[in-house]
Amino acid sequence: MTEKISRRDFLKISGIGLTSATVITGCGPSSRYVTRQAYANMPEYNQTGVSTYYATTCKECPAGCGLIVRTQEGRAIKVEGNPEHPVNKGKVCSRGLTTVQGVYNPDRITGPQKRTRGSRTTTAMEWQGAINTVAEELKNPQKTAFLLGLQSDHLYDLVREITEKGGFGKPVRYGTLGTLEGRSTLLRATQELYGFDQIPFFDMGNADVVFSFGAHFLETWLSPLAYSRGFRQLRKQPFGKRGYIVSFEARQSLSSANADEWIPIKPGSEGQVALAIGKIAATKAGVPAPAIFAEVNLNEVSQISGISMEKLLQLGELFGSDNKAIALPGGSALTTRNGLDAAKAILALNVLVENMSQPGGVFPTFGENHTSDFAAVKALIAKMNAGEVDTLFIHGTNPVFELPASAGFQAALKKVKTVISFSTFEDETAIESDYVFPDHAALESFGYQRVLLGSDRETYSSIQPVVAPIHDTRATADVLLAAILATGGNLASDIQYTDEVDYLQKTITPLIEKAGSYSAGELPTFWSKWLQFGGWWKTTSELNSSEIEINLNQKLSFSAPQSAKVGETFHLVTFPTQMGDGSGANRPWLQETPDPMTTVTWNSWIEIHPKTAELLGIHDDDIVEVKSSTSDFSVEAIVYLYPAIRPDTVAIPFGQGHTALGRFAEGRGCNPAIVWSASVNQAGDLALSDTTVTIKPTGKRRPLARQESKEGVYGEH
Amino acid sequence: MKSSIPLWQRSSVRIVGALVLLIIMGGAVGGIYYTQIPPEQPIPFPHNFHIGVGAQCSYCHTGAATGPNAGLPTTDKCWGCHQQIEPRNDNLKLVASYGAEGKQIPWVPVAIQPDFVVFSHQPHINAELTCETCHGDLTQMTVAEPQKGQNMGWCLDCHQKMSTPEEFVLLSDCATCHY
Amino acid sequence: MTELLAKEAHDEKWGMVIDLDICSGCQACVTACSMENNIPFVGEDEMAYGRGMQWMRIRRYWEGEYPEVTPDYQPMLCQQCGSAPCEPVCPVFATLHSEVEKINLQVYNRCIGTRYCANNCPYHARTFNWFDYEIPAPMNSYLNPDVTVRRRGVMEKCTFCVQRIVKGRQQASAEGREIEDGDITPACAQACPTDAITFGNLSDPESRVSKMVRSDRAYKELENLGTEPRVTYLKGGKSYGG
Repeated sequence: MTEKISRRDFLKISGIGLTSATVITGCGPSSRYVTRQAYANMPEYNQTGVSTYYATTCKECPAGCGLIVRTQEGRAIKVEGNPEHPVNKGKVCSRGLTTVQGVYNPDRITGPQKRTRGSRTTTAMEWQGAINTVAEELKNPQKTAFLLGLQSDHLYDLVREITEKGGFGKPVRYGTLGTLEGRSTLLRATQELYGFDQIPFFDMGNADVVFSFGAHFLETWLSPLAYSRGFRQLRKQPFGKRGYIVSFEARQSLSSANADEWIPIKPGSEGQVALAIGKIAATKAGVPAPAIFAEVNLNEVSQISGISMEKLLQLGELFGSDNKAIALPGGSALTTRNGLDAAKAILALNVLVENMSQPGGVFPTFGENHTSDFAAVKALIAKMNAGEVDTLFIHGTNPVFELPASAGFQAALKKVKTVISFSTFEDETAIESDYVFPDHAALESFGYQRVLLGSDRETYSSIQPVVAPIHDTRATADVLLAAILATGGNLASDIQYTDEVDYLQKTITPLIEKAGSYSAGELPTFWSKWLQFGGWWKTTSELNSSEIEINLNQKLSFSAPQSAKVGETFHLVTFPTQMGDGSGANRPWLQETPDPMTTVTWNSWIEIHPKTAELLGIHDDDIVEVKSSTSDFSVEAIVYLYPAIRPDTVAIPFGQGHTALGRFAEGRGCNPAIVWSASVNQAGDLALSDTTVTIKPTGKRRPLARQESKEGVYGEH
Repeated sequence: MKSSIPLWQRSSVRIVGALVLLIIMGGAVGGIYYTQIPPEQPIPFPHNFHIGVGAQCSYCHTGAATGPNAGLPTTDKCWGCHQQIEPRNDNLKLVASYGAEGKQIPWVPVAIQPDFVVFSHQPHINAELTCETCHGDLTQMTVAEPQKGQNMGWCLDCHQKMSTPEEFVLLSDCATCHY
Repeated sequence: MTELLAKEAHDEKWGMVIDLDICSGCQACVTACSMENNIPFVGEDEMAYGRGMQWMRIRRYWEGEYPEVTPDYQPMLCQQCGSAPCEPVCPVFATLHSEVEKINLQVYNRCIGTRYCANNCPYHARTFNWFDYEIPAPMNSYLNPDVTVRRRGVMEKCTFCVQRIVKGRQQASAEGREIEDGDITPACAQACPTDAITFGNLSDPESRVSKMVRSDRAYKELENLGTEPRVTYLKGGKSYGG
């Protein structure tokens, strides 16, 4: 025999025979020819067939939940919650669970690349070349800008230090989840009314009555798992007491669906409703109504909000009764032209019922919040348009997808000489970039997340790699530090970190002195415990009952809320789903997990009230053109007849409608951000809830894949 | 002229049919044969010799008592002894070269179960079974050989013999091995 | 008699209690189950044909008329019936009752795909592998090695995470102790953000599930069919106490 036939080849040749063999012996042939890794080929602490668990932090949203990831033979298998972690106490949401599908996604960018803008043509690079490129761009601080996402605080902190010491402009930090919940507005209102510098913690678990003004506390609001726990606690109070939730919003969200009462109010009228409730509650409690509430005209509020006078009185009295009440300011109330005043009105309700720093009330949290408002993004776009930005670094956010089309980010991007993206995926922004220097995926990287919301104590959540990077990627912090070293000069002598881990260790060193849940004498011990426990936090709850002087003797002025013309234009509600800021759309299991309200999978839709649809002659699964009333932008969306929405309102979920981001995300549904109005509210946040749209049938039809019906789509997809 | 012989009686069809059948059967026999012989190993490891010089099974297959897999040794483990041993023949030279380069030897596992069977060594070791009960008498083997007839009946037979009727309820439960 | 009771308490009879008052319908359990049990994703078209492979689904029913409209959620999974309609119809004994865990097992290597069991299941809890669904490399890296990857033509369903039960039992026996309440948690209960799902041993009268089953809110789905489900629901929401 001249050429030895390998066993494998032989098996291939006798494929048919093999099938019979399989039937006869009852076992698949593949089992027999597995190659098994010697354990020295695997990461340390691994034994074949035995799982190793590592603590890290979820990077799917900014909440910073602690994770325990099960790994086996160097592969991340399953994400579980960290039971010790003060934010999520061992629980995980759908998004966190599918993190592994992000790590092992077949559409990841496998190494540094130079790109042709607007196309998918790429040229592979070496990392040294990438670092040289970054170093070259860093030499011109005045004309270099950083645009960062909400996740991984360590990178933001490092970039902030670099920009401060190197004379760059302040980095802009933007993410859709922050926009949808009006985070900057909430922060501004808290500063102006409560006088503290953080987004507060709302202790809904210990309250009796919760008035939620569009807060999606079960889905994405601030810290969804912490507030889901609060929801459980509210319902399961001692002695069988069961808290009562009233939710005000135009479209019933999952949180409203779990409320005891859903009040479909007109979008944009939340602030005035809060004032009216305050006035009635004050009367009920027998106290003089503070100036902030006193001047509101109840009849007018009833008229603009669509709540009957009787209902309004009933709700106001409920809020003002002896129960512990709390009011939550959610996104749909804050992202309107009256957003800041609405936030203040809602926050003032908490002052009225004296729940500040009381169990079941509102508490200050820990540390400062660094979220840029939309105005900062607008300013950046203006600078880009004026040719004042030569280099733009983008990390952790996908502005081409997430920003309203009328903001003109994409056009402004064309005026920037060099766009460098650090994206893990070929997303819409990476396609418009000159270079992509991919960061590690979530479970491959180091870092920390400062927990600002959802924790009752000061918490730093540590991020550590649970698996070795599977592609030729590099941590963005490492790339920046290496580039600074290559640049030399003052910046290199000011930024004295050798690499990312060195930066992290130096940053957490002050925590050693603080009394936390563990103690360590010196940094190496502290570092190993920091990684082992998944972060550092205080042992006991620290929600302090500090006295805060709050002045309610101020006046708020509301302009008339954006109104829709009956039968012509409709309010557009954009709500977040499990896709989060859209980055979840490439996780097949997030796509296939049905939406809780509609049970639709793998697509997005527009929710229209059945009566409205009847008037417009629209049916389920029809495709309609949704056009902004204020601009020329439009999207096509598939109709879902949704019984729990105001007839003058339509709603589109956020997160789908990708033109890039890989095989699981592309070409599904529509992106509502395209039709968002780009106007800002008083706090500089995007007033996206003021968007009104027109609906026009296109005559096309495409059935949605709903779990609730099995009618089938034979021949229609 | 139209043929009146039915299709299946034509000699050509019959010959082709017989050939196809032969190929299928040949393939089947070959397939079965190749699952019953020891696979080719990178180094024909002489188990008998190593047992002869007093090595315990668990010295190299460390995981058996604590986990599902017994595991295969790393080159470091081989090298621990073999760096003291003169590479007299080709196989020893091969070991030496793996050791010197620090590369792992790509051993081919022999005793493995199909995908739908979940097997763990640990409970079997806890039940004080010896290795040769399932893996055969390694003092008589060079490379490890697959044991014949290790099917589900063989598993259950042993489970029944080794247990009380109450225990056998657990040991014959489908979910003991299949899930 | 006391001996008999003591023995029964040690017996395993796994059960689940789902509190509908705090179940928010968020679907985290569905994703958790799918990630734990190597369930393939089937894509949009197959989902639309009703061939989704989720072992667990949240049933959502709209109640009432606008504006008093609200959805009712009920997580639906294999009820692990004590008298299961799926079992007697299987011609090859691929679905049968476990003597140990007292749950319904699906033995994949026995299943020949007649789908009789699914047709006879009143809960629609079974899913069928119509195709070999591709999980493109390297995404197969996250597959759980403790759970068989099913092939085309095989029926499958919720197993109460039997791999975790077996692991927990082996661990307890290696440590020389009995399984304690709370040792074993299926993926859905572990993930549930509101802790609405409780899992435990029904034959132990002191376990959390046994206590919850005695609640006056407890009911079993389609109990009148005589299926003896092992999943108990606690009435919730607006039907509280009703």
